Amino acid sequence: MSAPAKLIVLAALTLTAADRPAIPLGLDAFLPVPAANPLTREKVALGRRLFHDTRLSRDQTVSCATCHQARYAFADPRPLAIGVHGRKAGRRSPRILNRVYGKSFFWDGRAATLEEQVAGPIQNPVEMDLTLAEATARTGLSELDLKNALASYVRTILAGDSPYDRFLAGDRAALTAEAQLGLNLFRGKAGCTACHLGPNLTDERFHNTGIGADPGRFRVTANPRDRGAFKTPTLREVAKAPPYMHDGSLLTLDDVVEHYDKGGDSETNASLDPEMRALRLTTVEKKALVAFLESLSGTIQEGLAP
Amino acid sequence: MLLLALALLTEPRLVWRGANVTLLGAPSKDGAWLSYIDSGDLALRNLRDGRTVRLARSANKEFGYFSVLSRDSKSIAYAWFNDKGFYDLRLASTAGGEPRLLYRNEETGFVQPCAWTPDGKHILTLLFRKDNISQIALVPAAGGPPVVLRSLNWVYPKRMDLSPDGRFIVYDSFASDDNGDRAIYLLAVDGSSERKLVAGPGNHLFPLWTPDGKSILFASDPGDGMGLWQIGASGGTPRLIAPRLGRFVPLGITAAGDYYYGLRGGGTDVYVADLAGTARRTATLKFPDRNRAPAWSPNGEWLAYLSRRGTENFGQESRVIVLRASRGEEEREVAARLAHLEAVWWAPDGKSLLVRGSDRQGRGGLYRVDPETAETKLLHWDESAGFRGLEGAYVGGKLLYALGDEIRFKEGASHPCPQARALTSNGANLAALCGSKSIAVHREGAWSTIESPIPGAQELAWIGDRLAVGDGQQLRLLDGTKLPIPSERVPGVSVHPNGKTIAYTAGSAQSEVWCLRLPN
Repeated sequence: MSAPAKLIVLAALTLTAADRPAIPLGLDAFLPVPAANPLTREKVALGRRLFHDTRLSRDQTVSCATCHQARYAFADPRPLAIGVHGRKAGRRSPRILNRVYGKSFFWDGRAATLEEQVAGPIQNPVEMDLTLAEATARTGLSELDLKNALASYVRTILAGDSPYDRFLAGDRAALTAEAQLGLNLFRGKAGCTACHLGPNLTDERFHNTGIGADPGRFRVTANPRDRGAFKTPTLREVAKAPPYMHDGSLLTLDDVVEHYDKGGDSETNASLDPEMRALRLTTVEKKALVAFLESLSGTIQEGLAP
Repeated sequence: MLLLALALLTEPRLVWRGANVTLLGAPSKDGAWLSYIDSGDLALRNLRDGRTVRLARSANKEFGYFSVLSRDSKSIAYAWFNDKGFYDLRLASTAGGEPRLLYRNEETGFVQPCAWTPDGKHILTLLFRKDNISQIALVPAAGGPPVVLRSLNWVYPKRMDLSPDGRFIVYDSFASDDNGDRAIYLLAVDGSSERKLVAGPGNHLFPLWTPDGKSILFASDPGDGMGLWQIGASGGTPRLIAPRLGRFVPLGITAAGDYYYGLRGGGTDVYVADLAGTARRTATLKFPDRNRAPAWSPNGEWLAYLSRRGTENFGQESRVIVLRASRGEEEREVAARLAHLEAVWWAPDGKSLLVRGSDRQGRGGLYRVDPETAETKLLHWDESAGFRGLEGAYVGGKLLYALGDEIRFKEGASHPCPQARALTSNGANLAALCGSKSIAVHREGAWSTIESPIPGAQELAWIGDRLAVGDGQQLRLLDGTKLPIPSERVPGVSVHPNGKTIAYTAGSAQSEVWCLRLPN
């Protein structure tokens, strides 16, 4: 028997005390916060200020909060993001809820960390159109501090404690009968849990669901199988944030259910996800699915408790 | 260093061997007791005199499962399959008395208590939800909602344990989303951090904390068999404690440093025999005693079966489909992306496999698997099927499956069949067992019902266009003719298209409890 050369010790046990947000029902107590950027009260407070700071845009009219509005579940009621000088982005502003649990960021997953992600819109010419050097000059912060503070704040935006969470926790009365039928369809005939699963109702993977001509994940990987694929968004607070899909092309939850009921066209869309198929839902079933989706709204919190 | 560790180690000691040994419990910290399940009852075995104390009696469909004693040995937390069809977490006093319900949630169908916090106020428990999510949770021993620390996917930890100071949890899980090998993780109980402690090629699993809190013991297979390894809780170089222990499962460590483990012996294998009753031989090449559920291809050139492979020596997800050539020594694994494999059959054209099981989203159903590429496609699923999925077959080019009290065509037509099961098709005709006495037969588009010549039949097979019925011992044609096949086997035969050779599963598992005194 040789020495265990194949076994690799990846990390020693190093723990640091950190400020933590309260965790809403339905989410994990474990927050995967990178050791290089632990949550601190000061950073989160700074991040909140920066999130609302229009100085981070070229014409000082746009902040992160312009497109990620708390009252719309940290999304934007407009179908596509609109940046400085009224420039229109190609994709919708996603709901940035529970991103602390995320594995990759942006619709196409091109950012591996939140620290990397938060710098993207600032530099994007159709969003905030500022170089990081300009951003640091305007705020008086280093690039690292700017990214760390914004990422820390975003990590505290948590959504949970919905009727669905209470139902999962054992409260059988938390969902209406119609929503319970919807849950059964969600897990069963409609097959939604093929992608929308776990505490955050997303597999954090990429799927082509037959929406639009945007190459999506393909631009990141150059893998033909990723053409038209986008990251599964969380369904938490989904009823509060129409319109839907990465291009905002579906206006209501009814439209979304109709889209999935049709199942897409695999003959004209070679990379259509194999889970996409005609569902043949009845009118009652479609309505129940929407009722269930509405039950995914609960409380949204941001920042650290005093 | 390695030699020193081995020199200090005493020889493993056999603690318990016998027909009623189960590996679902844990030793008490004082080494006096071992919890286990005896015929469904929660029981304690006195490790000094072999005396048994029963703490909870099984009744009807209810039975006990995993259990763990509190650090003071006064209480035992255990999983209990209830009369509603899912698992409760319950608490019993080792002094006797009525057990107490700690946690019941229909949405969490399975629970596995693993360890107690040092203050005895919480039980580290694995929760497995209906949506195929496993969760590491602390359940209050006084009752109340659990605190979910960490959600994982369908790959639930095989073992987890609490550090003696109660600050950290060690558990095993997949090394990454796309890597089936297991790694060992440390999770802070306050949710503030998680670290991967051991990874690298191969499986690293079954972690337990040593009583002094300084190190963690785990199982690993670096290539020559599963051994017991040790690593410092703050990292370092792992060292081998005991090489090649066999198919072992840790049960727990006492305060004195006695490492109790279960050893799995025996098991089932796939055999081939002449239908005339002669020439039985083993059909498998590798992993003896870990194989089952054979199915001949329509052209007779391949035998498909399920095999439990790798270091991880139990658990549904460790099964793979194996194709063994009828002639020669060729063998191939078909790595279908399925979490649970229960049975495999060939489609009549021999170009695809029909597989009963669940995918990684927990959809129990019927799947089609390409034997060349392992590409897996869901054909049909139903929530009521559970993780075991659906039995199905093609007849006349149409897919049908058994569900509840019906045989259903995928297109929608159905035929009543109480407790439908054991579907068998030769591509043209179909037969299915309905209850214990009847057989539904579908020939040329029409259904008929016949009485089984064997009461309590459990298996069906076509021999050419003749139907044979069996109970796992006898196998008879419908006219009552008894076929001379081996009687010591698991129900389920597959008949070669030559009509002369059968493949079947035989054997049984035995478990033993062993103890290893750890080096200081």
